[in-house]
Order: sequence, then structure tokens, then C-alpha cells
Amino acid sequence: MIEFKDAAVVAPDSGVPILEPTTLTLTEDRISIIGANGSGKSTLARLINGLVLPVEGSVEVDGLDTQKHGAQVRRKVGYLFTDPSAQLIMPTAVEDVALSLRRLIKNRAEREEAAMSALREIGLAAKADVSVNALSGGQRQLLALAGVLACTPSIVVADEPTTLLDLRWRAHVGALLRSLPLQVIEVTHDLDSASRAERTLVVDLGRVVFDGDPKEAVAVYRDLMFGRASQGATA
Amino acid sequence: MISLLGIYRPKRTALHLAPVWFKMLLLVGVSITSVLVSDPVTSIGITAACLLLLASTLPPLKATLKGMGAIILIAAFTTVFQVLRGEYIRALDLAGDIVSVAALALAVSSSTSMGAMLDFVTTLARPLRWLLPPESIGVMVSLTLRAIPEAAQILTESRVAARARGMDRSPRAILIPSASRTVGFALQLGQALHARGIAEHGRAARIEPRQVTEDDAPPPVLAEPPVREAPRDEEPAPVRPASRRERRR
Repeated sequence: MIEFKDAAVVAPDSGVPILEPTTLTLTEDRISIIGANGSGKSTLARLINGLVLPVEGSVEVDGLDTQKHGAQVRRKVGYLFTDPSAQLIMPTAVEDVALSLRRLIKNRAEREEAAMSALREIGLAAKADVSVNALSGGQRQLLALAGVLACTPSIVVADEPTTLLDLRWRAHVGALLRSLPLQVIEVTHDLDSASRAERTLVVDLGRVVFDGDPKEAVAVYRDLMFGRASQGATA
Repeated sequence: MISLLGIYRPKRTALHLAPVWFKMLLLVGVSITSVLVSDPVTSIGITAACLLLLASTLPPLKATLKGMGAIILIAAFTTVFQVLRGEYIRALDLAGDIVSVAALALAVSSSTSMGAMLDFVTTLARPLRWLLPPESIGVMVSLTLRAIPEAAQILTESRVAARARGMDRSPRAILIPSASRTVGFALQLGQALHARGIAEHGRAARIEPRQVTEDDAPPPVLAEPPVREAPRDEEPAPVRPASRRERRR
């Protein structure tokens, strides 16, 4: 369970609020977050993993405060970035997944076997020894997901994981995320994907302006976007 | 040179099966010997041995030829320079040294996985654990190697972007975006490491004991058995007579 208790974030230099004090309890298995660019949805997602810390209030994951127990929270919460290239560190696919497992498995042979098994589960076993630079964008995103899942998190936060992918890979990665037996929180611009969640949050100008049924959330988001566009056009 | 990196392929050759410490020792030993020995015959012998070792690891042909081609070109320039100075023996010795060290480095990198190298560096860095967690030093080495091809790619993309804007002769149009994008990449990589919890456990282990809060503290160890509330019908405990000081109060 993820709990936001009046969690607020401000820009470190200017002090401009990025996220207004937010109180939420996230228990559903499939949650989507939608909103305009720069609305604060990624900040909201990063708070869950402790990548961003609140300046006010707190965020707790299964009772662990992200400020006090950052390392433990990150073991529970896997984070998938928009651009997988920044997430891949080692030269080959199997070595990259094995890097995630260093903390859990000390023996190298066992670690490599576990990494291979993680790649097999995600359908990348044939690319195990291929350089990460030689993989396609979709394969890289899958590899990043394999690296995250290898650490057996209980929650996966995916920040626009399909934005850089073509239609085929978008469908594949989206279906894979939906099939995970974990709590998945997806920040997305893909409204079809957002509609498939159990609960959707709409973020606008640093505030959660809607929290509830995904279809209603999409309608609210459309109104927000097109209403603002027509206001801009008439002004 | 970039093609020399990341060319490891798992195989069952002698060098693949050799322990990492042996390969690193061999590399250091050959490098020192090449510098110290200025005999051209020995140099040629060492070069031939190193090239054979490289071939024995069955590296990917294209990447190897590309990488070695660049090295041979550098060696050729050095040789021409020495020949022009009239130092023929030194020219042969220097060219041999450059090619042998590069070939052996390539043989080691093509037969050693980054994971094995990371383990080796981590073990090697253990005496420095008071300064930095060994795991962090190992990850730093991996990140350095990972950053080289990425920085080269950023430079190439910046050059193409500058050309597209008709500014391909302006070094500023290439270097400034390259520098800012490289910093951006470093920040992204740092966030990814943070998000994946890599090299965090060493630091956490050192910091966390100081950050323990009241809520986290383990339940107090009971030095005495818990006080049982006396039942109503039980006799009250004997009252200790008040001391002289207490009576005065």
C-alpha cells in the first residue's frame, strides 16, 4: 500500500511548487496517472520510489517512509524510465540484469543463471549476449523491465514506458505490464492504456484534480486539455 | 577505440576459462616488460605472442579488425616519426610495444565479462572500504566504460545536428550541446542507479544506524520481568518507610 500524506514538492532553486500537498492511498493493482506535460505526474511517480523526496508531508510504501528508509523502499518499488538507454549500464543484456541481482545473489554463476532466467521469462533469452547498443528501443525497454523484475519488487512504477516505442512494441510492453502479478503504477499519455487501469489519477498544474474511474478520468483530462486550448484560442 | 569495448562473447577458449586475476597480471606484466625491454627481437616475439593470444579468444572479426586497424595506424605514425629521426631499432620496438599491449588488452576484454571484471575490481578495492564501499568502486569502473561509447554517440549526434543547421564549422555548435547532453546523460544514469538501488547497500549499511528513529528502534530489552498489576484481593506491597529528607519536605 502506498500512502501520500500531504506530500508536497517544490523546485529546489526557485521554490516554485511542483506538487501541491497531496494525500492519497493507493491500494489497487493497476493505477494510471495522466496529465499534461509538466503537470507533475512524473514527480508524483518518483515520490513513490524515493527518487524525489517531499519537502512537506511524507510518502510511505508498506509503512516505510521514503525519507527514512529510501534503500528499503527502492527494493520494494521497481522504477521503469521513459528512455531505457539511461537505465542500462552494462555492455550486454545478461550482464545488465545480473548487475541488478548483485545485491541479492553473491555467487556469480548463480547470478548469471538467475539473470538468464529473467531474460527467458521476458522473451529476451536469444539476446542475452548481445550488446545493449545493438538492441531495438522495444527490446531495450523489455531489458530494463527484466532488470527491474529480477529484483522481485512488489510494486512497479513505469514512467511513460511506451512513449518512445512503435505501435507493435507499445502493445507488447503494455500487455506485459498489465500481466504482471504486482501493483503497477503507470504514468502515461496513452489514454487507451490509462483506461484499462482500475483507478486513474489526473494531475494538472501540480494537483491531483481527479481520482477515480479511468473512463471518467480520461473525459476530465480531455475537457481540461481541449477546454484550455479553446480558452487559449479565444484569448 | 570504441569498438574495442563491449566485445565480450562467452566462449570456452583458454583465456575465457582463465581467472581474471591471471589475465590482469599478464596484462600488467607484459606492459611493464614491453616498456623496460628495448630489444627489437624480444618486442617482435611479445607482439606475435599477444596477437596469437588475441586470435585464440576468437573475437568478433569486424570489431577486432576495426579496433586493431586504428592501433596499427597509430603504431605506423610513431614508426615513421622514429624512422625520420634515424632511430630504426627504436621505431620497431615502439611499434611492437603499442601493438602488443593493445592486442593483449583486447584479448583480455574480449574474454572477460564485465560482471567478472566488476567482481575482480570489487575484490581488489576491499582494502579501500574505509574510503568507499568496494561495490561502488566496481560500479564506477563499469560506468566509466559505459560512458565512453555514449559520449562518442552524443558527440556524433551533436555534429549531425550542427550540420543540419548549417553550423558544422562552428566548434561551439558541437561542443556546447555535447557537453550539456553528456551532463544530462550522467544525471539520468545516476537516477537510474538510484532507482535500481545499485551500490546503495554499502552506503546504506554505513548510514542507516545513525538514522534510526524512535519508530524503527527494536523493542527495548527487558532487564527485569514485567511488573504485574496486583489483583485487588492481594495484599498490598509493603510500604518503605520515608527517609529523613523526605519527611522534612
